[in-house]
Amino acid sequence: MKKSILGAATLAVAALTLAACGQAPSDDPTTDGGDGGDTGASEVKACLVSDAGGFDDQSFNQAGFEGLQRAEAELGVEINQIESASDADFAPNIDAMIQEGCTFVIGAGFLLEDAIQSAAEANPEVNFGLVDSGFSDPDFNPVELDNAKPLLFNTAEAAFLGGYVAASMSETGTIATYGGIPIPSVQIFMDGYSDGVDQYNEDTGSDVTLLGWDKEAQTGDFTGDFDNQSNGQNLTTTFLAQGADIILPVAGPVGLGTGAALEANGSGAMIWVDSDGYLTTDYGSLIITSVMKEIGASVFDSIEEQVGGSFSNEPYVGTLENGGVSLAEFHDFEGQVSQEVVDRIAELEEQIISGELVIESPNAP
Amino acid sequence: MSADTSTAVTTPTAVAPGFNRALVGYAVIAAAALALALTVPSGISKIQLTTGPEAIKIPLLELPAALAVGVPVIAAAVVAIAALVQQLRTKASAPRWMAIVAGSLLLLGFLAHLVAGKDGVLPLTSLLTSTLFLATPLIFGALGGVVCERVGIVNIAIEGQLLAGAFAGAVVASIASQNPYVGLIAAPVAGVGVGALLAWFSIRYRVDQVITGVVLNVLVLGLTTFFFKGLLSDLEGLNDRARLPVLPIPLLSELPVIGPVLFRQNLLVYLLYAIVIALQIYLFRSRWGLRVRAVGEHPKAADTVGIDVNRTRWRNTLLGSAIAGLGGAFFTIGQGLAFGIDITAGSGFIALAALILGRWTPTGAVAAALFFGFANALSQSLRSYGVSLDSNIPLMIPYIVTLFAVAGFGGRVRPPAAEGVPYVK
Repeated sequence: MKKSILGAATLAVAALTLAACGQAPSDDPTTDGGDGGDTGASEVKACLVSDAGGFDDQSFNQAGFEGLQRAEAELGVEINQIESASDADFAPNIDAMIQEGCTFVIGAGFLLEDAIQSAAEANPEVNFGLVDSGFSDPDFNPVELDNAKPLLFNTAEAAFLGGYVAASMSETGTIATYGGIPIPSVQIFMDGYSDGVDQYNEDTGSDVTLLGWDKEAQTGDFTGDFDNQSNGQNLTTTFLAQGADIILPVAGPVGLGTGAALEANGSGAMIWVDSDGYLTTDYGSLIITSVMKEIGASVFDSIEEQVGGSFSNEPYVGTLENGGVSLAEFHDFEGQVSQEVVDRIAELEEQIISGELVIESPNAP
Repeated sequence: MSADTSTAVTTPTAVAPGFNRALVGYAVIAAAALALALTVPSGISKIQLTTGPEAIKIPLLELPAALAVGVPVIAAAVVAIAALVQQLRTKASAPRWMAIVAGSLLLLGFLAHLVAGKDGVLPLTSLLTSTLFLATPLIFGALGGVVCERVGIVNIAIEGQLLAGAFAGAVVASIASQNPYVGLIAAPVAGVGVGALLAWFSIRYRVDQVITGVVLNVLVLGLTTFFFKGLLSDLEGLNDRARLPVLPIPLLSELPVIGPVLFRQNLLVYLLYAIVIALQIYLFRSRWGLRVRAVGEHPKAADTVGIDVNRTRWRNTLLGSAIAGLGGAFFTIGQGLAFGIDITAGSGFIALAALILGRWTPTGAVAAALFFGFANALSQSLRSYGVSLDSNIPLMIPYIVTLFAVAGFGGRVRPPAAEGVPYVK
């Protein structure tokens, strides 16, 4: 019996040790410099807590970290950061950052909502930020916290431009989209994309159909998680069988399944989300463009606001106007998107920025 | 084989296990068939049987809904009622094929009912292709579980074995200048690695096998995540995608429906067919199978006739883990994908459910895994048939089906008697 307990304990210790390897708090020597020029900067210590993706996820954790590093370099603020290996690490990691003397703690991703919210309630003297989500009570009613600032993105504006490009590039007259989980920050992409297709049809009198999302009814196709790439591949194959040729996966890594399905199919293309997929994935040759959320910019801007001496719990909303959302370059598709479309996109972007054209979405922040 | 109390009340004579459950099952099928027949909408059902490159093409079927729904469901009802009557009259279980035929006909009628009077087309072939695609890793995982559990070792670590196989398959194929066949050898080896830990702790140290399995799952997730972040993301050439090529079988792949579904696959899926057939035959018709089952049911008796219980357990745990590890390769090289963190996303646990629902037999596990694959494929394509639902409802279908299947239709199941019990002389 003793032997068996010893065995179990050894195994458990080994597993925990390895699991812990992923999340050692970084001791970046540069963070200790802290010779910030102006007085505002020296008082701000900005810290970032990742979700399970880690700071090298080629997605929003990484983008947030880059914003943090930029704040250190350009604003001279002290920074620190910690990676979470699982959901269970969120609260302890946030506490660790507060113990470190951070004055502004940012949670990367909507999964940290509850942890940031309870930390904000328990530590009124510390300011908090949360990427990609507002705060809500247990009944899902939105709440405002005096010391916590949501960093939100009106991605519908950039997705609108993406939808316009996709519709113009479709040879079959059918394009598609799908999401990971039906949540507002995913659905908002699909809303904008749908409107972009409608705009193209209105401009050119064509009849491009969109599969996978019904904006009116707010229903669509979802794979159910952000891990299982098989589902993304299968769903894409289903869309291709129905004649779609350009796909917008709003599902993080599950979107890589779309790349594999397009590769097997030998034709078709996709539009990536969050970051510039041409640079961050292996499927650059299949990516027409990307609908980008400039998470780094939002982190930087919210730190800059505090260095200026003010903090407001007003949500930061990334738009085309402030550069918080944007459409990436066409890279390999540079010559293939017609000049008319490029010009029209620039024109539509102007109209959105000036407020002449408003992209409505029930999921907008 | 203890007598159920309700059985004892209703039928004084002893009946085969599952007798009453089968009766209820047939009654449910007949009732569902009649309900579908009575609610047929007007209009036509469009059914597409050929889409791809197969030589024999069948044009798009546009059948009146009454015909497309009515014929299969009435046939399903007839078969189910016939089985019910036969079972009541002869007091013996009706042949298994009657349940399979009645169930399949009912499903066909249900699908025709779904698209009746709508714009959407029912792409039957692509639905079946999706079913096999999504079920393949589940079948591998469940078969790996069958071998381990038949010999008396609980294998909760299927998820870990799949993940290890996915990782090793992708990395080794990538290192071998993107040769997917090399990855196909590495994947079962990685599965064996996890299986060896399971066997070592379960047999040598007699640790609770459920706990060992759970810990191994965490260990493999931690290890693969660590290596992914620490090595694969930083170094070039360690995680480039490779794809097993599709090898169409001449003639057979030209058949309508079954051609593209079964015979236009890659080597991994053909291996799967071979493993299913071999396991079903060898487990019940060979000396090896008899020994495996003896060790899993009554190790003491096996020991008395000279079978080395722990050695048999060691070998077969490794064999089962190799099968599960091979299945893991499907997530990466089987689909032409690079490795990603937690790419198996809990498939090992669905495979475990398939194993239990399939009552620890290879064919049962295959049927259950296909059923889960079908539920998943259907949930992903429901909207394209013109069925409008809240986005969350289709996502729930596979899990609701799993719950009902395991709790309801699976009923009380009997695992191998010595499962999870370490053998001490």
